[in-house]
Amino acid sequence: MKRFFLFLLITLFSFPAFAQKEDIKTDTFKVEGNCGMCKKRIEDAAYTKGVKRADWNPENHLLVVTYRASKTNLETIQRNIAKVGHDAGDIASDETGYNKLPDCCQYKTNSCNH
Amino acid sequence: MKKKTGALLWGGLLLGVHAQAQDTTKSTKQIDEVTIRTRTKSTEINLLGAIKTEKIGARELLKAACCNLSESFETTPSVDVAFTDAVTGYKQIQMLGLTGAHTSFTRENIPDIRGLAAITGLTYTPGTWIEGMQLSKGAGSVVNGYEGVAGQINVEWKKPFSDKEPTALVNLYQSSQARTEGNLVYRKQVSENLSTNLLLHGRSNWARIDQNGDGFMDQPLDKQFIGANRWFWFAPSGWEVQGGVKGVYSTNTGGQMDYNRDVPQISGNPWGYQADINRLEGWAKIGRVFPKNPGTSMGLQLSGVYHDQKAQYGTRRYDGKQNSFYANFIYQTILGTTDHVLKSGASMQYDDYAETLAGTPYGRTESVPGVFAEYSYNGNEKWNVVAGLRADYHNLFGAFMTPRLHVRYTPWQKASLRASVGRAQRTANIFAENIGFMASNRSFVIAQPEAGLAYGLRPEVAWNSGLNFTQKFRLNYHDGAFSTDYYYTDFQNQIVVDAENPASVRFYNLDGRSFAHSVQAQLDYELIRHLDLRLAYRWYDVRTTYDGVLKERPLVAAHRGFANLGYETRNAWKFDYTVQWIGPKRIPATFAHHGGGTVAESNSPSFVQMSAQVSKAWKNGDVEVYLGGENLTNYMQHPMILGADKPFSPGFDGSLIWGPAMGANVYAGLRWKIQ
Repeated sequence: MKRFFLFLLITLFSFPAFAQKEDIKTDTFKVEGNCGMCKKRIEDAAYTKGVKRADWNPENHLLVVTYRASKTNLETIQRNIAKVGHDAGDIASDETGYNKLPDCCQYKTNSCNH
Repeated sequence: MKKKTGALLWGGLLLGVHAQAQDTTKSTKQIDEVTIRTRTKSTEINLLGAIKTEKIGARELLKAACCNLSESFETTPSVDVAFTDAVTGYKQIQMLGLTGAHTSFTRENIPDIRGLAAITGLTYTPGTWIEGMQLSKGAGSVVNGYEGVAGQINVEWKKPFSDKEPTALVNLYQSSQARTEGNLVYRKQVSENLSTNLLLHGRSNWARIDQNGDGFMDQPLDKQFIGANRWFWFAPSGWEVQGGVKGVYSTNTGGQMDYNRDVPQISGNPWGYQADINRLEGWAKIGRVFPKNPGTSMGLQLSGVYHDQKAQYGTRRYDGKQNSFYANFIYQTILGTTDHVLKSGASMQYDDYAETLAGTPYGRTESVPGVFAEYSYNGNEKWNVVAGLRADYHNLFGAFMTPRLHVRYTPWQKASLRASVGRAQRTANIFAENIGFMASNRSFVIAQPEAGLAYGLRPEVAWNSGLNFTQKFRLNYHDGAFSTDYYYTDFQNQIVVDAENPASVRFYNLDGRSFAHSVQAQLDYELIRHLDLRLAYRWYDVRTTYDGVLKERPLVAAHRGFANLGYETRNAWKFDYTVQWIGPKRIPATFAHHGGGTVAESNSPSFVQMSAQVSKAWKNGDVEVYLGGENLTNYMQHPMILGADKPFSPGFDGSLIWGPAMGANVYAGLRWKIQ
C-alpha cells in the first residue's frame, strides 16, 4: 500500500516535467453549439494529438484550447471540430457531421434549454 | 429557459438548501449552479458557501449500480457502510464514526428517515429515483431542525419539470446472488405550470444463498415494493405548491436455510427471522416569492408518516408503530442589501411510538414545537458566516437551545477554509437502531430507567466542532482537488449501547466521557483525460465509557484507505474500479463455544474490498448496459454467527459483524431512457 502511494505521488508530480513551456500555446475561438450535450462532443473533437486541454463554455460559446505547437496547430484543431458538425473559428461545419447531431444540438435551427 | 430556471431557483429556495443562503436574487448565480451540474465531476465540493457540501451527482451514484440509499455510498469515503447483523441483510452507515441515526436524512429538505426506520429506511429510497445528494459533515443548518450531530444527507429526487430528464427511465438489475430489481421513473409536464412524477420500484431476493457456509441465509428472501407520486405547480404570481405520497411494502424471511415462514420458534426447529413493513408518507410544500421585494420569500413544509413493522427474530418478537407529523415554516428576507440574509420561522415535530419487544410494550409521544432564526452574511468574497439559533420545547425533556455557527474563509485562490460548531439533540430509538442485536440471544436490558422519559432514558446531547480545508488545483492541464477535514464530537449525554457482556445488550445514560475524533484526507485528480483518480484515507478515534471504563467503540474501524479509478471513453464505455482497505475493529468479549467460559475481547483482522463496473451506452446515452462485481476478493467474515449450530442456546450471536456477510457478487443491468 505504502509503495503504491509513493508511486502515485512520484507519477503525479513528475508530469509537469514532460511539458516544455515554450512549446505550449493557448488560443480562444468561437465554436457554435447549444448546451452541455454539445460540450462533450466539441471538447472530444478538439482533444486530438498534441492538445493538452479544451474547455468550451456553453454560455459564450468560446473554446479555450491549450496545445503543443510542435505537434498540432489551430487550424487542425478547428477542422476536427468542424468535422463533427460545429462551426469552429473561421471554419464552417461539415454538413454530414451537422446532420448527424441530435435535434437539440442542431444550433442553426434549434435551441435547448439544458 | 427563464421559466425553468425560475422554477429550479424557486424549488431550491423553498427547500432551503444552504446554497440558497447565499443569495436568492442573484439569479445568474443560481443559473450557474443549475447548469454546472451537467459538466462537473461526479462528486463536487463547492468552494463557496459557509458549509462544506459534497455534491454527489447521478453519475457518482451510477458507479455502484446501486439499488438503494444504503448501497449508494460505496464510492464515498466520508461514509462507511457495514452490515448490521448476519441475518437481516440490512446495511447501516456511519459518519464521523457515529452510527447512521446521528446523521439527519432529508428528502428535499423534509426529514425523511427518522425513528423506527433509522436502519431499514435506507432501503426505502431506490437509487434510480435519485438525482443527486448533498452531504455535509458536522452541525448543519438550524432551519432543518436540531438533530444530526454527525451531519446531513439531503437527497434530491429526479424532477418532473426538468427538460434534462427523459419521459421515462427504466432500470433493470439482476445479480448472481438472486436479486432482481426493476425501477421506473416517469415524468409528465401536464401543462406549462403543472408537472408530475410517477416512481416505482420492485425488488426480490428469491433464492436461499449461503456463501459463508454457516447454515444461515446470507440475506433473507424478500420482496419490496415502493411507489411514489408527486406533483409540482408553479403559478406565475410567485406561488409554488408541491405535494406527494409514497408507500413502502416490504416482507422478509431469513434465518436458517430450511426455515419457512411462521415455523414455531422452539429448539429443534430451524431458527427464523421474518419481518413485514408497511409505510405511508405524504408531504406538501407551499411557497411564495415576492417579486417586488427581492430576496424575500416564505415557505411551508408539511409531512406525515405512518410506519408499521412486525418482526420475529427467533423467539424474540419486535413490533413497532410510528405516526409522525412535521411542519416547518420559513420566512426569508434581506436586511438592507442582499449581503445580509435572515431566515426565521417555526417548526413542529410530532412523533407517536408504540413498540412491543418480547411482550413488553414501550410507548411514548413526543411533541416538539420550536422557533429558529439564521443569519447569513455574504458581503465579502473572502469570507462568509452563517449563524443560527433555535429554541425548542420537548414535552418529555423540556426546553433547549440549539446554537450553530459556520464560517468560511478564503486564504488564497481556489482554496477554502471552513469551521463549524453546533449542538444537537435527539431521542434514541434504542430498539430500532439496534436491530442487529436482535439476531442473537442477548437479552435487551434498560439499566436504571426513569419514569416519564423515552424508554426511561434521557435524550442524547452532543456538541460537534469541525475544521476543513479544500484546495483545488490544476496540474499539467488537469484539474484536481485536495480536501481534508477534522471533526470532534463530544457527548454530554448518550444512550450507551453496551454489548461488553456476551449475554446482554444494555442501554443506559452516559456516565463519563464519550467522544469521536475524525480525520479525513482526500485527493481527486484527473490523471489523463477522462481518467479520474480518487484517493482517501480516514481515521477515527471513537470512545465511550462502558460501566466506568473508557473503551474504543466496538465494530468501528479506526483506519480506512480508499482508492477509486474511473475512466470514460469517447464512445461511451465507462470503467470504474474501487479498492478499500478496512482496518481492525474491536470485538467485545464473547462466549467460548468450545469448553464454556468466555473469550476475551479481540481485534478483527483488516481486509481489502474491491468492486468494479463496466458500462456501455448507445444512442446519446439513452440505452446503457452495465456489468459489475462487488467484493471481488470474495472476502467474508468467519465465523459470521457465533454458535450457529445451536441457535436456541445462550451463545448464539449474529450481531458482531465486522466484515462482509456475502461473498463475490456479479450483476448486470440495463438503463433505458425513453425520451
